[in-house]
Amino acid sequence: MVASIPYITLAWLVPAFPLLGFLITGLAKNRLKNNQAGILASTLVSLSFLISVLLFFTMKSSGQESATLTLFNWISAGDMKIPFAFMIDHLSIIMMLIVTGVGSLIHIYSIGYMHDDERVNTFFAQMNLFTFSMLLLVMGANYLILFIGWEGVGFCSYLLIGFWFKNPDYNYAARKAFVMNRIGDLGFILGIILLFFTFKSVSFTEVFSQAATLQTGAPMITLITLLLLVGAVGKSAQIPLYTWLPDAMAGPTPVSALIHAATMVTAGIYMIARSSILYNLAPITLNIIIVIGLATAILAAIVGLRQNDIKKVLAYSTVSQLGYMFLALGLGAYSAAVFHLTTHAFFKALLFLGAGSIIHAMGGEQDIRKMGGLKKKMPVTFLTFLTATLAISGIPPFSGFFSKDQILTDAFENNPVLYVLALGGALITCFYMFRLLYLVFYGNQRLSTSHPHESPRVMTIPLIILSVLSVFGGFLNIPSLFGGDSGFSEFLHKTIISKITAELDNTTEIGLIIASLILLGLVILLAYRTYVKKAVVPAKDGEKISVFGRIIANKFYLDEIYSAVFEKPFGFLSDFFYNQIETKILDPIIDEIGILTSRLGDLVRKLQQGIMSFYFFAMVAGILLFIIFILIV
Amino acid sequence: MILIIILLLPIITGLLLLPLKNPATVRIIALTAAVANLLITLGLIISVPSATYSVNWTHFMGTQFTLGYDGISLIMILLTNLLFPFIILSGFTRSHIKIPVLNFLILFTQSSLLGVFLAQNAFLFYIFWELTLIPVYFILLLWGGENRRAITLKFFIYTLTGSLFLLFGIIYLFTLTPGLHTTDFSAFNQLHIPAHTQNWLFWILFIAFAIKMPVFPFHTWQPSTYTMASKQGVMILAGVMTKMGIYGALRFLFPIVPEGVLYWQNIVIALCLTGVIYASVIAFRQSNIKRLIAFSSMAHISLMAAAMFALNVYSLQGLLFQVISHGVTIVALFYLVHLIQERTGTLELPQMGGLKHVAPGMAILLLMAVLGSIALPMTSGFVGEFLIITGLAKQSLWVALIGGTTMILGAIYMLYAYQRIMLGDSNPAFSKVQDIRVLDYFILIPLIAVIFVLGIYPQPVLDLAEASVNSMQKLLGPAGEVISQLTH
Repeated sequence: MVASIPYITLAWLVPAFPLLGFLITGLAKNRLKNNQAGILASTLVSLSFLISVLLFFTMKSSGQESATLTLFNWISAGDMKIPFAFMIDHLSIIMMLIVTGVGSLIHIYSIGYMHDDERVNTFFAQMNLFTFSMLLLVMGANYLILFIGWEGVGFCSYLLIGFWFKNPDYNYAARKAFVMNRIGDLGFILGIILLFFTFKSVSFTEVFSQAATLQTGAPMITLITLLLLVGAVGKSAQIPLYTWLPDAMAGPTPVSALIHAATMVTAGIYMIARSSILYNLAPITLNIIIVIGLATAILAAIVGLRQNDIKKVLAYSTVSQLGYMFLALGLGAYSAAVFHLTTHAFFKALLFLGAGSIIHAMGGEQDIRKMGGLKKKMPVTFLTFLTATLAISGIPPFSGFFSKDQILTDAFENNPVLYVLALGGALITCFYMFRLLYLVFYGNQRLSTSHPHESPRVMTIPLIILSVLSVFGGFLNIPSLFGGDSGFSEFLHKTIISKITAELDNTTEIGLIIASLILLGLVILLAYRTYVKKAVVPAKDGEKISVFGRIIANKFYLDEIYSAVFEKPFGFLSDFFYNQIETKILDPIIDEIGILTSRLGDLVRKLQQGIMSFYFFAMVAGILLFIIFILIV
Repeated sequence: MILIIILLLPIITGLLLLPLKNPATVRIIALTAAVANLLITLGLIISVPSATYSVNWTHFMGTQFTLGYDGISLIMILLTNLLFPFIILSGFTRSHIKIPVLNFLILFTQSSLLGVFLAQNAFLFYIFWELTLIPVYFILLLWGGENRRAITLKFFIYTLTGSLFLLFGIIYLFTLTPGLHTTDFSAFNQLHIPAHTQNWLFWILFIAFAIKMPVFPFHTWQPSTYTMASKQGVMILAGVMTKMGIYGALRFLFPIVPEGVLYWQNIVIALCLTGVIYASVIAFRQSNIKRLIAFSSMAHISLMAAAMFALNVYSLQGLLFQVISHGVTIVALFYLVHLIQERTGTLELPQMGGLKHVAPGMAILLLMAVLGSIALPMTSGFVGEFLIITGLAKQSLWVALIGGTTMILGAIYMLYAYQRIMLGDSNPAFSKVQDIRVLDYFILIPLIAVIFVLGIYPQPVLDLAEASVNSMQKLLGPAGEVISQLTH
């Protein structure tokens, strides 16, 4: 294909740099000293970011919508032709900027955070491999290249969750994440296969251009979108496949920031937004997405209320925010979902990195009941964490306000009930985030043994940059209500076709915003009264709490239910198949036949005085005699 | 002529090794021969599209000693000659027990396997088919592990029973040929056998191949034989001999009893899918790694067998690609399993753990082989299984869904095994374990490179496979139209 965007031929460098980094740090991991691996890895990802920026601007100035770069023919079988190709368009360039931009900040931060780890070089190799896979995912020009990246990031996630492989629980968490993702991936790959049968191609441009010929609500398109959705549900940790994400917090904190907040878990949202044309044809699927998204958003937020591990709170918050993105997708407001994805990448990466800074300072402690009073000791971490908290809570003018408000408004247009539920979830979010903030930074220091200190500059500078993005990121897409031009949505509007057309009148919209702001203010006040004024500290483990509280604290016992319904019966079935069917039924039947045969063999053996080799020659001779016998008779 | 060289080079070299005394010399000569044969094969693939060689062989059956190949054979020959150098190389250990005999038997196996894949005549095919059993029988019996006598006997009788059905089938087909009877495949392919005859003849021919692959419920010889077999024995069995079953089924069933195939298609696919689930589920709770990998191999082979009976271009392409991919991956896995056993002295998962601390190199290589086995994209396993699942989906989405569960179940048991072996806290019992040595690198790096190179650039093998699929459709004869209708 003709390169239509200037410098498009450089696009392959974007994933190539982190791949190179992976190979160098991976192969030379025993030779690289001090921070060499970290500096190399960070530099390479930053270079990818620079090229992405270059592509972004040339794309804007040239006015081109998209360009494809084909590297080689990957799989060709019968009428199936799948090239190894990249496609750069407005959606993928945004994702590339997030992945390489936030990614390079997290890489730099990790130089400080992982400094003392003995396997730091391996860490950076795996982080670079992840970045490479994630870039394949967002740059792939067809569903199968996307799938390479999709499974690649899943594998890197497996490696990095189980990075500290001495701990069996971490290894279990890593396997659980991979297997649950694979369940989704099976649905995804079947969806891709049906796409191929339907359109004779899996490339985005061809599928989408042909999709227009299909009827809305056709069974095949509904089935395809549902199967793709199964993949997205697994990757983006939605009900019922979300329980792996909280466990994934076993990985080092920068991993949680990069993979389990900013990039990989949003792959499902990217994929559905990418397939907007297909989803617009499947109203049933969209309704299912609304239900899944909203249920996940609220359920995870409720669980977040009772978590005491700083990373677990953030993990449930991520699940919940991904639920909001799903809600937006289900409403057909794809660009709103991608916009929330973008601001979420800023503030959630910041929250995790801030949490990392805190954990670093507390000597590995993650229990917020043992923290407190860190505001003065860690001013930079506190201020940046505060901006992120305000952003995720949806306080104007922080970025989360704009992105979440857009989703809420779209929900209201669809059905006020959805709006009320979504707003309820947002209020819970606000409460648990301020609970976290107050417990960690305010009041007295509860753990006397540690001496918290501010983190080194290599860690705080990324925090500050992300903080700036969390504060101002919302200005990318100021709605017309506030005199903006919705630049972000406009940028995307030709790439992804949103279904939302009706606009709320300004009075209603302003009314909704004011109402929600008043409620948010009340919630913050409530959190303040509880955790600062009354200095309530959540109950210790084992202390008596209400039944409802216990159910929430135990995450609705979902892990236990899954274990009882799937894991244990699977083990039982495995034993049953082997110990009963294989050993007691199938094998003996054959043995019986065998014993009969060998009795016959005994007779023959007497003729041979037990010389094995002779037996074989006798066998061949016997076969020949047999043939001759049949021929003559 | 070149085919005669490919066929006889191993066995003649093997015979020359017998009088030699020095193990080192024996190994080097054996390896040289195997590598030379691989190079000749590669040259053949690049230069000559197809060739036949024939001499008058037996007059009492009116048949000719005809060797030749088409795309399908070529894939099998490539696999055989690709794996045998590594199988021989893996014997470059300190062991000195009967090295000339062992290498003779291995090369003998190679020649007879090549004979199976080159034979253009059913009787000749059968002779080579049985011939493979002889050296393998001795390899299993003389170098096998615990309980080898009973297990080898069972293996032998099991496969021999299947072969007898095949022999009967060949003879029956022979009687059907017109004029001067013949057992040439070309003549068999011309037969227009009545449908009701095809329906029972299908099973007479299929049993032997079903046992060899193995297809559920004819698999019960396999786990114990693999577990007991020596390193080189299991590499031969799992890497190449299972493919004999696939090759035989492709060679006999589709061209000769096409209507029988269509008649039994759904039943056989159901059996294969049962095997996929059954073996995968069992693998999860196996404590012996070798037995675990044995069941895993059965699951993958069952999926390939299901693909064969889906009868469309994607599934057949995937199947033939997977022949190479599975062969390479399983050989690498079994080599690693033996490496672990040699270093730690155990195969039992409950006694393992934390090996990565002392053997990081081994851990990485094992993980890479595991990735090939669980078909992660960018490994050859993904390309093969993706095409296979596509082909199954062409048949029915449910079939694809059930077959596709290997993606999930494989990840469950393989990553579990990997964790049990390598991860966890360092294990005091393994504190003196040595990591990978030079020899291991020479074997594992090329095999794993094949897994990844074919995952990233599969087209050369797919092109070979494409020729095979086309040539098979040519062979299909009367049912060719039926089957090509199915594929389009």
